[in-house]
Amino acid sequence: MKSIINKLLLLFAVTLFLTSCHKDLDQSPIDPDSFTEEDVFANPTEAKGALAKLYASLALTGQKGPAGSADIAGIDEGFSQYTRMLFNLNELTTDHAVVGWGDAGLQDLHGMYWSGGNDFSDAMYYRLAQEVSFCNSFIANAAALNADADVQSYIAEARFLRAFAYYNLMDLYANVPLVTELSTTLPTQSNRAEIFAFVEAELLAIKDILKESGANEYGRVDRVAAWALLSKLYINAETWIGTAKYTECITYSNLVMTSTYNLNLNDANGNGTAYDELFLADNDTNGAQDEFIFALNFDGLHSQTYGGSTFLTHAATGGSVPASMIGINGGWGGLRTTKNLVNQFAVDLDDMNTALGPQTDWGLVGSATPNGWGSVDDIEMFQTGTNTYAVYADLLSGEMKFRFNEDWGNNYGDDGANGTLEAGGANVAIGAAGTYYITMNLNNNTYTVTPFLSDKRGMFYSAGQSLEIEDIAQFSNGYAVTKFRNVNSNGTPGSDTSGNFTDTDLPMIRLAEIYLNYAEAVLRGGTGGSLTTAVAKINELRERAYGSTSGNVSSINLNFILDERSKELYWEGQRRTDLIRFGKFTTADYLWPFKGDAPAGAAVASFRNIFPLPPDAISVNPNLVQNTGY
Amino acid sequence: MNKFRFFIASILLLIPAVMFSQMKVSGTVTEAATGQPLPGVNIQIVGTTQGTTSDFDGNYQLENVKTGSVLEFSYIGFVTEQVKVATGTINMAMKEDAESLDEVVVIGYGTAKKSDLTGSVNMVSAKDFNQGSVTTAQNLITGKIAGVNVTAPSGAPGEGTAIRIRGISSISLSNDPLYVVDGLPLDSNGVGGSRNILDLINPNDIESMVVLKDASATAIYGSRAANGVIMITTKKGKDKDFTFNYGTKASFYHSYNTVDMMTAAEFRSVVNQIGSTAAKARLGSANTDWQKEIFNDAVGYDHDFSGVGSLLKVPVRFSLGYSNQDGILKTDNFSRTTASLSLTPSLLDEHLKFEINARGTEINNFFANTGAIGNAIRFDPTQSVYDVNSPFGGYFTWLNTAGDAQLNLAPTNPVALLELRKNTAFVERLIGNVKMDYKLHFFPDVVGTINVGMDKSKSKGRTVQSALMPTSDADWNGSLERYTNERSNKLLDAYFTYSKVLNDHDIKLAAGYSYQSLDSDNYNYDSEKMEDGNTYEFYDLEKEVMLSYFGRLNYAYKDKFNLTATLRADASSKLNPNDRWGYFPSAALAWNIHNEKFMANSKINELKLRIGYGEVGNVSDLDPYLFLTNYVGSESTAEYQFGNAFYQTYRPSPINTEIRWEIGRTLNFGLDFAAFDRRLSGAINVYNKETIDMIIPALIDPFTNFGNEIETNIGNMVNKGIELELSGILIQKEDLDWKLSYNISYNDNEITKMEFDQPWGGIDGGVGNNVQIMTEGQSPASFFVYQQVYDDAGKPIEGVYVDRNSDDVINNEDKYYYKDPYADILMGLNTSLKIKNFDLSVSARANVGNYMYDNIASSKAIPYDINAQAYLSNLHTDYFETGFQTFTETNFLSDHYVSDASFIKIDNVTFGMSFPEFLKKSDLRVFGSVQNVATFTKYTGLDPEIYGGIDNNFYPRPRTFTFGFNINF
Repeated sequence: MKSIINKLLLLFAVTLFLTSCHKDLDQSPIDPDSFTEEDVFANPTEAKGALAKLYASLALTGQKGPAGSADIAGIDEGFSQYTRMLFNLNELTTDHAVVGWGDAGLQDLHGMYWSGGNDFSDAMYYRLAQEVSFCNSFIANAAALNADADVQSYIAEARFLRAFAYYNLMDLYANVPLVTELSTTLPTQSNRAEIFAFVEAELLAIKDILKESGANEYGRVDRVAAWALLSKLYINAETWIGTAKYTECITYSNLVMTSTYNLNLNDANGNGTAYDELFLADNDTNGAQDEFIFALNFDGLHSQTYGGSTFLTHAATGGSVPASMIGINGGWGGLRTTKNLVNQFAVDLDDMNTALGPQTDWGLVGSATPNGWGSVDDIEMFQTGTNTYAVYADLLSGEMKFRFNEDWGNNYGDDGANGTLEAGGANVAIGAAGTYYITMNLNNNTYTVTPFLSDKRGMFYSAGQSLEIEDIAQFSNGYAVTKFRNVNSNGTPGSDTSGNFTDTDLPMIRLAEIYLNYAEAVLRGGTGGSLTTAVAKINELRERAYGSTSGNVSSINLNFILDERSKELYWEGQRRTDLIRFGKFTTADYLWPFKGDAPAGAAVASFRNIFPLPPDAISVNPNLVQNTGY
Repeated sequence: MNKFRFFIASILLLIPAVMFSQMKVSGTVTEAATGQPLPGVNIQIVGTTQGTTSDFDGNYQLENVKTGSVLEFSYIGFVTEQVKVATGTINMAMKEDAESLDEVVVIGYGTAKKSDLTGSVNMVSAKDFNQGSVTTAQNLITGKIAGVNVTAPSGAPGEGTAIRIRGISSISLSNDPLYVVDGLPLDSNGVGGSRNILDLINPNDIESMVVLKDASATAIYGSRAANGVIMITTKKGKDKDFTFNYGTKASFYHSYNTVDMMTAAEFRSVVNQIGSTAAKARLGSANTDWQKEIFNDAVGYDHDFSGVGSLLKVPVRFSLGYSNQDGILKTDNFSRTTASLSLTPSLLDEHLKFEINARGTEINNFFANTGAIGNAIRFDPTQSVYDVNSPFGGYFTWLNTAGDAQLNLAPTNPVALLELRKNTAFVERLIGNVKMDYKLHFFPDVVGTINVGMDKSKSKGRTVQSALMPTSDADWNGSLERYTNERSNKLLDAYFTYSKVLNDHDIKLAAGYSYQSLDSDNYNYDSEKMEDGNTYEFYDLEKEVMLSYFGRLNYAYKDKFNLTATLRADASSKLNPNDRWGYFPSAALAWNIHNEKFMANSKINELKLRIGYGEVGNVSDLDPYLFLTNYVGSESTAEYQFGNAFYQTYRPSPINTEIRWEIGRTLNFGLDFAAFDRRLSGAINVYNKETIDMIIPALIDPFTNFGNEIETNIGNMVNKGIELELSGILIQKEDLDWKLSYNISYNDNEITKMEFDQPWGGIDGGVGNNVQIMTEGQSPASFFVYQQVYDDAGKPIEGVYVDRNSDDVINNEDKYYYKDPYADILMGLNTSLKIKNFDLSVSARANVGNYMYDNIASSKAIPYDINAQAYLSNLHTDYFETGFQTFTETNFLSDHYVSDASFIKIDNVTFGMSFPEFLKKSDLRVFGSVQNVATFTKYTGLDPEIYGGIDNNFYPRPRTFTFGFNINF
């Protein structure tokens, strides 16, 4: 009997032991980097970390900077960064950029022969779709904390970011699934008009929930962002849904233009224009932030990625471009631009001189002129009125005088450097080499020498680079672009002293673009605005660009707007959309080197106005139909 | 050197004082393998009828033996031995005849006689191990078993080895077999700071390695056996007087193999030919062979001391081992000290048996900076190693324009990389188990077994980089990274076996339970992150629990039929509760045809037909908790700025609530045979091994999940093959013994279902370029490339490829599937020849049909950098063949770079000489061996045997010369 009891006890012990072991199978993550839904949405403070991800997934590539815990699989992590892909899809495909690298699928973009399954168009789709599901999840989970005023704004911001993702999807892929709630059911495909309607409705719905203009902290959007995105949406409405909405564009552009956002006019580094400050390492504090309606934030130490401004600075540096000028440790030698962009900024002095009036025998001579004092061929001036002459001329540092018909018999100088001319007077000193506008008035014997200010938005590096592109793979073919720099306004480099990662934030929507939208909408027949305001706004941009009113215009037209957008917004991810709106992306109307993979440029089929859906996304979701042509 | 002193002292003690002959001869006959006494052995004086047999204790006695006469010891199943009578005591350790049918083979949770096996099982025991400089256990069986491919990933010292049994069966999960050491399954995740999962074991401590190949044999290990099981049994104590063994060897590693980069003169002429003025000005005046600067000949040595015997009636074995090996890459070093103790006491009249194994290992690794290999390949040969003006410790460096940092992207001086970085690791590992077999007193047919095992390791490592290291960081001031890694693997097995013979029926039943937990705890520190104001300490914790029930039935009828059936149920904490349990059955039947009456008088000693089917699973390397909604917090380098503050972000991870076991199903037909008094023996196996529900990172809809990819069960794969093993005793005479064994296997591996193609085989050259693909209908990792067009002279024409789909455009759609990196045919040949006291063994291997992509030729033979960069980098000599000028995706993916890497390798030649009774009872063996003797191949790259098929920055294998001796006393 006793032994039976013992055996039963033993059996009982064994059963107990096995049961406890079975419970041991219910392990949960014990890693300190792992969190549950309850942790993340425990309170508004924690939820802010989840909101930060919604912004960060457009700026960074994963949970380890610069790489190591990627959001998107199947592509190099650095390649999967949103603005880098936006550059590849919207700038590299155009006259704005070429790249020398042989990475999979990259050459296809400028050559416009990408196939369905291009790494970049696929990964962009995944990144944007993932942003949608991150936002959907956030919106659903944060609803429980909705009593908190901050959380209400968080949710509205999440809805803005979701609308922004759909804006991009609509621009790039046109026909994508519209998913607005967490679900595991495979979604059906929507058309561009349906996406358009959703984005429009969402922005209209949140525009009054988002914080007041300027009331949010830097890096987060307020209601001006919703207006601005509506402005962007409506300017493209005719292209995307076949219905013109220029009046609506003017309405929301107007709201933006009268908000607390200002064009940055603070020339913090004192180089003669406040434009370059927008793309410097301290553009979150140097005044540029006042112009940024929606910007993506980078930091060399705390927000590291191989995309973003790190990409735009390193990839564009090569050849003899001094890395120290860009504020980085060295270049990747990849990106350059075509002559089409460079030529937008080219100043043709001959044309400008001819416009002044008829050529005369009055001219400039001296060590400041290319031919020196012994010249038999002076720089001839042009008659602008009775006894008034003028010329635009490239001068060297040195001295000069005015003389008639290459003969010292009739010459003028300036005794006492007082602006008054004396026959046979002293030499006129020219300080720095540069382009000058020189006038001479023999009615009152005065003259002026003023530096001629050109459009400083064109930031190119030409030493050792050829303007023409013969071989895309060679970095030396095409000018380098120095627009984005990791240098602070005071000249010091960004926070990462190793020079690997940059601080420069990238504006996604800035006020200048809304000015251009406004002007374009007016020119395209929208009501509620005026051409006078449009011209004035354009001139605001040009005054900043030139550092003077010398570039101001008195009239504008649509082609002028397209060129102006190119000059103002190049390399900011807009070009392809603009060219499509103007009917020039795929057509023969406008060509650039290696468009359509032809050295002189060639038209391609119009289906390339939108990118293919990833073939793998179609095999996962049989509801999807590939875009025509792919 | 303490061990050495002890050894000398021992020898002195054992030197006999007097040696003389005696007419009465007596002694004990034992079984060499176990040390157990062997009764019934015939002992005959050759040339006479005089003889006797050994008694129950193995003792014998013969009177009136003439000095100089010869005694012959013979016993069925054992090798007949002859001894010249010189002393009055002649002890004989009888060696088992090769391929003896009664050999006992360790299978999961028990043992079986070889004759009763029904599955495809190979045992290699110590006497058949590869000889020479073997520091890693896996290399003991290289080339020994059909269908088992053993490839070391590099020539680094102490390096681990990829063992692939019957091809690869998984894509995203592990393809490594399960290693079981004395019943303890090892954690498949390596130990931090360690080079090899098996470097805890001194190869000299291994008694046998059993490879379970087919699922009918492995299914008892269920979910972990998908890639086969390698069971390692260590040497145990014996019930006899103590004997000791000391062995030592010295190895010389010869670096003989380098990549064919241009010489300084060749490179200079190319730069002068195509370079810009600026490029030409960069040329230096030196002639440096950078590969010679980083590789050198190296030495290693090995001591091993062990003792076997019985202490207080407890059989004991202990061993001490020490290995120290330099790598041929300068500064690389591996050293290991091992100590082991094994006790096998029996109590209660043999009813209670214990097996206690404990093994401690200490490893010191100095990891050379293998980054130096790629940099040595690239570095400009016209520059000298040192430059007095260099701000970086006098090492020549490509400087930026400011002269204060290395030019970004420029290659780094490889000698500086080696000498200015110290990466060391210290690993302590303790593995042990206590196994208790209790034969029930009241029911002796039942034996209960409990096996408790533990494998604990603790690693500490640090990497220090000097402030003088050339970097592109102008503020570089050196760095320190440290880590600790603690792992703990705990096992409890409890099972019983019931054995019963009823007339013609022999039944064995086993059933049991197994619990295993694997914990890991990592800590990391990074000084550079600290300087940047970022998080600089990282903790990484993980725990996995596995639980299993298993049962096995062995049934034999009249020695004619054997049936084995097993079932294992496994659960892993990695999987969601609904799909957590997997059930893995197997059944196998063997027919011993030779025991049938009609075979009675044939020359055939063994003819066994086997058929077996089994299912196994795999979740090794699967990310845990895919079924939960997890948020991953961002590190401080991936925070996001709001206002003036940086916020940690939370990312939801993709979810797969339906992840299940990956299942392997194998059907195996086998025929074992032996004939002519077992002089010829062998086996044929034909198998079909299917992987279903294969786990692959599959694309998911990103609108409805939190990413675009997650591990999902979506594929199938099949391996079909045939294996033949033959072994023959060609000559067996008194003083001459020649054995030859040969194996050949053919394996055809194909992905039979794959919803999404998986790009595979990332290469150097461009980013995102993959040269291989996993796709339905092809072998895994098939090369997926453009078809190069060649001119009439046979020179490839740059940028010209076959427009395979004839659409006048060369794009992705023109790529084609071209071969794969896995050999179709594997062969191994081993031979050993003994003439008197001399022995010679040779082992060779051949792989046929394995293809290789030469990534050095594809990425280093394009002179792009010469004019694009402000530095020069060397070119591969393939440039003279191709003359390609630009980096394009298509150039990288040209089939020009994929070539047949079939090879024949002579792995090892060992020559030894034995001096029996060198000093009284001491036997001495002196040997010399050469490893990696010769390779015959058409492949022009560095080495035709690189796992995965992409030849890039490979650590070359040295040719090794080893000398050593071994003494028993």
